[in-house]
Amino acid sequence: MEEKRAHNADTGGQCSVLGGFLPFGLGLVLSLLVGWWLSPKLLFSEQSQPVAFNHKIHKEEAGMTCSDCHYFREDGSYSGIPTTKECADCHEFPVGSSAKEREYVNKYVKKGQEPDWKVYQMQPDNVFFSHAAHSLENCGKCHTDWTEKELCSTSGCHPDIGDSEAPPKYSENRITGYSASTMKMWACEYCHAMPDHRAYNANNNACFTCHK
Amino acid sequence: MGIDRRSIVKFLIGGAVGSMFTPTPWILTDDISIWTQNWPWVPKNIKGVDAYVPTVSKLCPSATAMLVRTVSGRPVRTMGNPEHPLSGGKISPLAATEVQLLYSPSRIKRPLRKASDGGWKEISWTDALALLDEKLGFVKGSATRLAVISGDQTGTVNEVLSGFVASMGSKQFFLMPSEAQTLARAWELMGGAGMPGFETAGSDYVLALGADILESWGASTRTRRAYCEARPHGEVPAATYAYVGPSCTNTAVGADIWVAAKPGSQAAVALGLANLLIKAGATSSAPDFAAFKALAARFEPATVAQLAGVSEANLAMLAEGLQKAKAPVVIPGSEFGQGGSVAAAAAGMALNLLLGAYNQKVGLRAVPEFAPVVEKAMARKDVMANDLAAYMQGLAEDNKARPEILITYEANPVYALPGDVAGTVAKIPFKVAIAQFMDETATMADLVLPSPLGIERYDDVATPAGCGVAIYCLNTPVIDAVNPAANIHGGDVILGLAAKQNANLGFNSFKDVLAAKAKAVGANVADLTAGKAFVSEAVTGAQPSLAAEAIAKSLEAKAPEGAYALAAVNKLGFGTATTAVPPQNLKLVREFELAGTLMYVHLNKATAAKAGVAQGQKVTLKAGDGKAIPALVNISEMVMDGVVMAPCNLGHTAFDEFAKGKGANVARLFTAQVEPGTGLSFWTQTGVAIEKA
Repeated sequence: MEEKRAHNADTGGQCSVLGGFLPFGLGLVLSLLVGWWLSPKLLFSEQSQPVAFNHKIHKEEAGMTCSDCHYFREDGSYSGIPTTKECADCHEFPVGSSAKEREYVNKYVKKGQEPDWKVYQMQPDNVFFSHAAHSLENCGKCHTDWTEKELCSTSGCHPDIGDSEAPPKYSENRITGYSASTMKMWACEYCHAMPDHRAYNANNNACFTCHK
Repeated sequence: MGIDRRSIVKFLIGGAVGSMFTPTPWILTDDISIWTQNWPWVPKNIKGVDAYVPTVSKLCPSATAMLVRTVSGRPVRTMGNPEHPLSGGKISPLAATEVQLLYSPSRIKRPLRKASDGGWKEISWTDALALLDEKLGFVKGSATRLAVISGDQTGTVNEVLSGFVASMGSKQFFLMPSEAQTLARAWELMGGAGMPGFETAGSDYVLALGADILESWGASTRTRRAYCEARPHGEVPAATYAYVGPSCTNTAVGADIWVAAKPGSQAAVALGLANLLIKAGATSSAPDFAAFKALAARFEPATVAQLAGVSEANLAMLAEGLQKAKAPVVIPGSEFGQGGSVAAAAAGMALNLLLGAYNQKVGLRAVPEFAPVVEKAMARKDVMANDLAAYMQGLAEDNKARPEILITYEANPVYALPGDVAGTVAKIPFKVAIAQFMDETATMADLVLPSPLGIERYDDVATPAGCGVAIYCLNTPVIDAVNPAANIHGGDVILGLAAKQNANLGFNSFKDVLAAKAKAVGANVADLTAGKAFVSEAVTGAQPSLAAEAIAKSLEAKAPEGAYALAAVNKLGFGTATTAVPPQNLKLVREFELAGTLMYVHLNKATAAKAGVAQGQKVTLKAGDGKAIPALVNISEMVMDGVVMAPCNLGHTAFDEFAKGKGANVARLFTAQVEPGTGLSFWTQTGVAIEKA
């Protein structure tokens, strides 16, 4: 201790303050870097979709709307991603001359196989999610100014990729196996636990409303 | 400035503080909690198009009509078909498991040949059929060297099977024992036309004489539907249900009145009731009414009390109920759906005649048979006259010529027939099992041919036993066969073999047989294919007799030996001989039905005291000829005095981990005897001894 005091006295105390704060600051900065920059890169693996689907070209050149492919069936269930059979209505043979189009037709349409689409918002198996209950038909009763696009995208459930030329990368959590975009319960509760909503459905935040 | 311990501590503290301001620890905690829920057995949702495909259960004896829910073509569950007369939206506990049974570990996935070391060798269909064809060549033209047993009680496949047997020069085609056979034989003795059926819908008084009509007797799902409709919740019931039997079965539980009666005493009770009804003025234009009246007069209430254990007051109460009812129906049957007395069935049907409940909307009805389509098929009457239990007994005693080839079609005689027939079957040189599951009979076979489940194949269901109207339904495959090498219907197997043996049955495929049958029935094929049933409410025939002579002779049957009477109970949830208990249904087995590998038998307090046994005590039930099964005692007042109640369909020695070795097979104790006067074996009267183990 005596030796240390002597040393501090020699440096006049200024270096003592820095020397005292530097390791702490270094640890702080490093952990912030790891926490905000490195850890997300390690935690999630980035994957590409099996088919380079171009939403924009379908919308602008084929004149299609969202609900041409993503529609409610007669029984109220939601179709989600169209099947290869549905895509084959137009893509039985390659449309255009791109190599990717030919690859899609050869790999999936001709073999009748479904691409292993990675669904950005796939919910865990213990959650029951009904698109019908969350459709504009219901939510639009009060939110009269919402469009379907706003309901699907702006409310935070789905990213707006309706105008994208290539599908965004899919981030999979290496621990859980779920997508980085999968909605967490707090996001669901943003609406479900909202007191204003209880006037319309007193039980809409009960456990079994969503969980099986 | 050097790196000392203090610097490191400061660095770590800085890191810890910094990490608190990042999402990492919170996300990791959340992710780990989610990861802990990712177990492989958590069911996965299937995305896709929902469809509900109508079909009728071929596994469940109740012939329940159901809708198979498929998602993108994959079956996920079965549910009752509200539009169908064999369901009305209800489903039986066995039919409810049919989708799961597609993937049962006991399913036979491909043809198998027994190897010399007793193991199984996979062989191709071509080799299997060539082998069978070769063997059949040696028995063609013999009346005794080929025997075929069918476990299908409702299908046109029986015409193919019996036609094949007849074409091969034999008449040894048998159905597994069931209520259909008992009723058919009784109806034949009464001179009735068509098939006897019992309509409960619209009745105001339903008396089940032994028959467990709400559980295992006949088309029980249909009967349950009628029961529900007559008794809407919270309203005054439109019908009184009474059950007469030794234990409080599910029918007794649902009934307004349970009258305890000794096992197999249905004839005595029926004759006692007939006596009271005749005294009260009931009559019949049957030619043998006088003889029947004289016979019934021998069954005074005191006599019935002695024979059946039914008190005089209870007998009078039942008679009064029937007498006052506007639309009564009496349904006789075995307590466990097989091995019933033909005389009891005839006596029960005679009660309906005395009550005027014959060929009316409600009651006993002579339901027309559908015309056969396989020309060489044996007549239904002849098939029903073939007594399988007696045949096996004859083989065991070397009184009958042993067949060279035994073919079983979706039947498990080794497990289900009374007594122990395994030794008898083992002596048959070449055994072929066309089966869906590796049951006891398939395990003993030399050649096993896989059979698709009902929802994987074309098939049909024609008027289940005891059904009050004629019904015909066509099944089309709901899905492709789960096991690609198990997609050939037994009917097609037999048609192919018949063609090779130059015993052509007139059809190239079983699908053609079904098309011809639908046409013969007079049904709209498009409607049938769409899952609708063909229903005919027509009745046939003139006045039947009361079978007085045959019933009188049946009274000469040997009384059961043993200090206690055995009452078996058949619960559909426990499966059948050919399915065993489905894995999904193990949760239906209750605390006092099975404990580990031992099942419970049920006695009331007085019987237990007489036998000197206590709750939970291990005992051995013994019947004649050294037959014995182990069990635990459950003391329950749901069984009458002097009776031991035991469940059916436990104690399998085959199948899988879910069924094998659980409990004991009560059929081992059954003691069959050929009934005097009717000529058909029955085993509802089995006496047992209770020994402490």
